Amino acid sequence: MERVPSPGASRFREASIAGTWLWLGLFALLPNLVLLLVAFLDRDTVGFFIPSLTLDNFRELFAPVFLGVLWDSIRLALCSTLVCLLAAYPFAYALAKAGPRLRPWLLLLVIIPFWTNSLIRTYALILMIGAQGLVNKCALGLGLIGAPLELMYTDFAVFAGMTYTFLPFMILPLYASIEKLDPGLADAAKDLGAGSLRTFWHSTLPLTLPGVVAGCILVFLPSLGSFYIPEILGGATNMLLGTFIKNQFLVAKNWPLGAASSSVLTLLLVLLAVLYRFTSQRAAGGYNAPLNARRDGE
Amino acid sequence: MSNLRLSPLFLILACFALAGPAAAAPPAGEVVVYNWSEYIPQDVLDAFTEETGIKVIYSTFESNEAMYAKLKLLRGRDYDVVVPSSYFVEMLHEERLIRELDHAKISNLGNLDPRVLSRPYDPDNTYSIPYMCGIAGIAYNTKHIKPGGVTGWKDLLRPEFKGKVILTDDLRDAFGLALRALGHSVNSTNPEEIRQAYEFLARLKSSVRVFDVTAIKQALISEEVWLGPIWNGDFLVAQEENPNLAFIFPQEGGIPWVDSFAITSGAANVENAYAFINYMLRPDVAVRCVEEYKYTTPNLAAVRLLPAGLRDNPILFPGPDEMKDAEYISGIGDALNLYEKYWERVKVLR
Amino acid sequence: MGAWSKRLYIFLVYCFFYLPLLAMFLYSFNAAKYTTAWGGFSLKWYAALLRNNGLLDAALNSFLVAVCAASLATLLGGLAAVCLKRYSFPGRRALFIGILLLTVSPDIVMGISFLILFIACSVQLGFLTLLVAHTALCAPFVAVTVLARLEEFDEYLIEAARDLGASEAKALLHVLLPLSAPAVAAGWLLSFTLSMDDVLISTFVTGPSFEVLPVRIYSMVRLGVKPDVNALSAIMFALTLSLVLLAQVITQLRRK
Repeated sequence: MERVPSPGASRFREASIAGTWLWLGLFALLPNLVLLLVAFLDRDTVGFFIPSLTLDNFRELFAPVFLGVLWDSIRLALCSTLVCLLAAYPFAYALAKAGPRLRPWLLLLVIIPFWTNSLIRTYALILMIGAQGLVNKCALGLGLIGAPLELMYTDFAVFAGMTYTFLPFMILPLYASIEKLDPGLADAAKDLGAGSLRTFWHSTLPLTLPGVVAGCILVFLPSLGSFYIPEILGGATNMLLGTFIKNQFLVAKNWPLGAASSSVLTLLLVLLAVLYRFTSQRAAGGYNAPLNARRDGE
Repeated sequence: MSNLRLSPLFLILACFALAGPAAAAPPAGEVVVYNWSEYIPQDVLDAFTEETGIKVIYSTFESNEAMYAKLKLLRGRDYDVVVPSSYFVEMLHEERLIRELDHAKISNLGNLDPRVLSRPYDPDNTYSIPYMCGIAGIAYNTKHIKPGGVTGWKDLLRPEFKGKVILTDDLRDAFGLALRALGHSVNSTNPEEIRQAYEFLARLKSSVRVFDVTAIKQALISEEVWLGPIWNGDFLVAQEENPNLAFIFPQEGGIPWVDSFAITSGAANVENAYAFINYMLRPDVAVRCVEEYKYTTPNLAAVRLLPAGLRDNPILFPGPDEMKDAEYISGIGDALNLYEKYWERVKVLR
Repeated sequence: MGAWSKRLYIFLVYCFFYLPLLAMFLYSFNAAKYTTAWGGFSLKWYAALLRNNGLLDAALNSFLVAVCAASLATLLGGLAAVCLKRYSFPGRRALFIGILLLTVSPDIVMGISFLILFIACSVQLGFLTLLVAHTALCAPFVAVTVLARLEEFDEYLIEAARDLGASEAKALLHVLLPLSAPAVAAGWLLSFTLSMDDVLISTFVTGPSFEVLPVRIYSMVRLGVKPDVNALSAIMFALTLSLVLLAQVITQLRRK
């Protein structure tokens, strides 16, 4: 990146660089450093922590309790990501192939839920899948089932909630990458005698892989840290990472352990972010909607 | 386009102009109440504001532990009136988070039942004034469980209730019922007894469909679950919505509690706090609260004013037989850490 | 995929998105309390909302914080984007990575680290603490959004303006800002929604003197299905819907 130095620019330049560094330092570096420091301190029953250095908190992270929490959270996030991917791919594909006049409106219909308050959408889902929700009512009314299905407070409910909330994050990057596909490629593959499945596997999928990776990370990240979907829809029968950390601070008053487990979460996310950058740099393209994912990140 | 160019700048300026007054200190004439959600009717709060001109800011918590942690964090400031349960009064005053009360400023104190006053956690009511009391028992759905099918806490473990139980997310309540089911004190500090209670809860966990404190009645009303521990007031409200629900006092003994008003040590509106507490002790106000939430009021003057259906309700006002083996939860000191450890283990069990 | 099965699938996904919202909207007019049975048409839950001063205050507070935080974040984030695009300086890459990491940093960690910081400095929790935290939450998103837009257009436009004698700040204001206006506006809107949607950070960094809507909604939702939440949700959804539609119509008009 070549810059043309211009003397009059220098004051503004210095000021804006300094300002940017300042807010990054104050808003990101400082709080995270303080958090990391607390993770190395000792628990105190009277105050929140005492200033004596220890590694106990990190040791506790290797105890079965925390590993269980971590595993449950990762498993849930992975499954939600997979469900979203399977549901979103054909949808995004069909969307990208829709007529040019219809497409902006179809896309708009995906974006509207994306902008809607995620708590409210989680809540709306209860009205559907509750024992007296619409799904059960309709099925009972039609005589399809004899007793209400148990949908609420199950893993199904959590997956449904995660899918409902995060599906747009999967659809949008997938749509962007599928839309860029050259339809001629698929036709060429077909002309060469490839079946539609083979065309998909060897041509379409590899070309849309950046979108797939972006979408997966965008769904995985927020579902890993999510706390209210499992709490409201899942009945909190499994302790997840978000709830665990929150409890250490707001209930158990074990700040050092909470700080240590948040550091682990941050580390995990940083690793994923690096992975994302790595793949997206290879894919290039100025698509930035993925970064909007955090708006729902609870 | 020329309009667009200026609009972000204008917006920024506009919002700083707006932010100015909001960031200023709150005006006089407020009282900040920190309480359980849905525990004082909105019209009662409105009437207080209308009578006194004092604005009520009603802020809520989901558990005593969360309330305690927050108060500690704020060093007793920011809130004026808090409503801790039973033994939390003791813990709050040991940490000097609540202040000594001047009984002369609470003229309605005489309305209260002497048996509910001066409990061991605050013998002279130096720090706390009872608001409502209740007791945890078991609610079950008669559509699925015939009357008499459940008699005590230990029945929650029965295999036919697998996946049909709702359990409170409150650590001491959950351990309390487990300890009681095993015949121990709810306040046991004996590590062996606590371990047994943990094992009881670990077995119970496989039957539990939902953990919750605040929405227990919801899950029972909508028949998501068949049975679970519930506070008697919540039960009575739930029964109005779903008449299939029934309540028992467990034979091992229910777990009673008293929620009390206290004033924080850092309260900014002490006089308003006294006015608020005194108002809440008024018989007509207490009646309104009982009608709405169906908890037992310690306010004898109010009991006389209650309609017959409530005054002689055996669940709302349990007799001596029901209260026979009931044991209040009290502070257990450092043993709480052990409870917490085991509770976390219960939560991560699959 | 056959054309019909394709259409059917699209339709089903939209049903999945919109049926729950529709149900919520319908139930907000339900006269019955607690139960999901239909008890007749009624507007009483909307009336109850209007009477609930705490809720209205919280909504106003949320709006105030969202507007302020979004504006501050747009300013800071936009500035950061300009720095990253136009200047080379030591640590530029580190700055860029730092901003990227902030966009994925979990809310809970952000909320907690700010809480510890505020408590350590004995700042009273309220409007200002919330504003700082939400600005920190939003600014990186603005920076990334604006940066993506800046990458797209010609550097020489500014240099031309500078050559014509405009100061750096003037050139940015008159050339760069109008060109990147859509991205700036998008960043602002995104920040606004982020702030209005945030439960976790707000739980940690605000005090009772300044309660916000998402936290209130969270405790209402936790309590279970009640018509007043339906009414509130319906209003909020209607607002979002009209805003998104308005934005769409404006962009369509400008394209023509």
